[in-house]
Amino acid sequence: MQPKLSFEWLHACSGCEIALLNGGEQLLDLLGQVEIVHFPLLMDHKYGGQRGEGAPLSLPQADIGLVSGGVAHEEHLLVLQEMRKQCRTLIALGTCATYGGIPAMRNEWSTADTLRTVFTAGTSDTDPIRPPAPAFLDRVYSIDEKIKVDVSLPGCPPQPQLIGAVIKALINKETFQLPQKSVCETCPTIREGERKMAPVQRFLHNADYDCDQPLSEMRCLLEQGLVCMGPVTAGGCGGKDTPLCLRARVPCRGCYGPVRPGGNQLLDMMNALASNGIDYRAIVDRKSLLRFSGAHGLLKPARKK
Amino acid sequence: MNREQKIIAFCCNWCSYAAADLAGISRLQYPGSIRIIRVMCSGMVHPEMVLHALEQGAAGVMILGCHLGECHYIKGNEMALARSEVIADTLEDLGYASEQFQLTWISSAEPERLVEAFRNMSGRLAVLQSEQPVDRVPEG
Repeated sequence: MQPKLSFEWLHACSGCEIALLNGGEQLLDLLGQVEIVHFPLLMDHKYGGQRGEGAPLSLPQADIGLVSGGVAHEEHLLVLQEMRKQCRTLIALGTCATYGGIPAMRNEWSTADTLRTVFTAGTSDTDPIRPPAPAFLDRVYSIDEKIKVDVSLPGCPPQPQLIGAVIKALINKETFQLPQKSVCETCPTIREGERKMAPVQRFLHNADYDCDQPLSEMRCLLEQGLVCMGPVTAGGCGGKDTPLCLRARVPCRGCYGPVRPGGNQLLDMMNALASNGIDYRAIVDRKSLLRFSGAHGLLKPARKK
Repeated sequence: MNREQKIIAFCCNWCSYAAADLAGISRLQYPGSIRIIRVMCSGMVHPEMVLHALEQGAAGVMILGCHLGECHYIKGNEMALARSEVIADTLEDLGYASEQFQLTWISSAEPERLVEAFRNMSGRLAVLQSEQPVDRVPEG
C-alpha cells in the first residue's frame, strides 16, 4: 500500500506548496509513490468531513504530514494539533513553519498594536476580528513551539529537490541529513579578507561586477559593502550549486533561517561585522535581519521606557 | 535585595577570576545574586551566550576581563570590547534593556574594583526592575 501524504497550510502564502509542485519530473515520480489524502491547495476537502460528520475538525490519517506556515491564531493551532495527531511523521516545511518567517515580523509589536494599525486603520470598524473569526494568539509561533516536529526543512520556499529528497527518504525509511552549512560555503565569489572591507549599507545600488564574467570573478558582496546575510544563514537554497540570490548577483536575504537551530541571525550578523571591525551601526534597520526568524521569542515588542 | 535576581558574571581566568578569588580570600562582601562563570578569556564569550543567559531568566550579564593591553591572549579583550557595543545595542532590539549588560576590566590585583562593579550592577538592575511596568497593558 502506498504511504499517505497530507499537506496542510497555516499562516502561509502557498509558496511551499508551489515549490513541491515545481519539482519537475520528480513530482511525477512522487505522485506515483504516495496517495495524497489532504492538500487544501490542490483538492477540495472539508475540515469537518464531506457531510459534516467529523465536525468541527477531522483530518485524515497520513504517514507523512507536511505543514507550511506558522501559528498565528487559534484555528491554526487546532488544525496543527489535529495534523500532529493524524500524521506519523510530521515535516515542518518552509521558514514560516520552522522559524516564523515573514508573518512573524509582527512579533515586533504587540497583538493589540497589530490589530489597531493593520486591521482598524482607515476603517470605522473598531472590532474587526470577532467570532467566528478565530482570535489572534499573543504572537506568531513556529510550529515546533507548539507540537513535536520530526523533520525541519526551512527555506522560503525550500528547494524543490530537497523536499523531494526528504519525502523519498521517508518513503524508503532512510535517514536524511540536511545541509548544515552557511550560504557562504557554496558561494563562489572572491573573498579578499577583512582588511579590505567597505562600510556596509543596504542594497540600494547594484553590486560591482562584470556581467560577462562568471560569479567566481565577482567580489564577495559583503566585502563590497552590501548587507549580505550569507554568513549567518543556513545554506541549501541552491542545492550543491551557487545560492539562488547570488546567482542573480543579489545579496542573501536570510530566508533559510539561522545556520544552527536556535541561532539568532541579528545577533550573529552584528557580531560577525563587529568582530571584523566593521561599523555595524551603519545598518539602521537592524531588526529586519530577523525578518525570517522572528518566532521562538526572538522578535519582541520594544521595552516601554 | 531581590533574592530571585541572578546576575551571571563571565570572569576571565587570568585577571577577573583571580580578582574574585582574592576578593574571597580578603573576605570582601558582594551581592549574593552574582553567579560567576569562569571562562578562559573575555573574548570567548559569544553574544549568544549573553542572550541565552537573559533568555533563561538572568536579570543581568557581566563580562569581566583584563585591562586593555594586558590580555593573556594579547587581543582577546579587544574582541570583547568590539562585541560589547553590539550586545548592548542588540539587546534593545531584542526587547531587553542595554543596562542588563555590563563589560568591565578588572586586574587580578583589584578585588575592590570587582566588588564595586558587582554592587553597581546589582543596584542598577534593582532600579531597572522597579521601573519596569508590571504587565504589558496595551495602551489606547
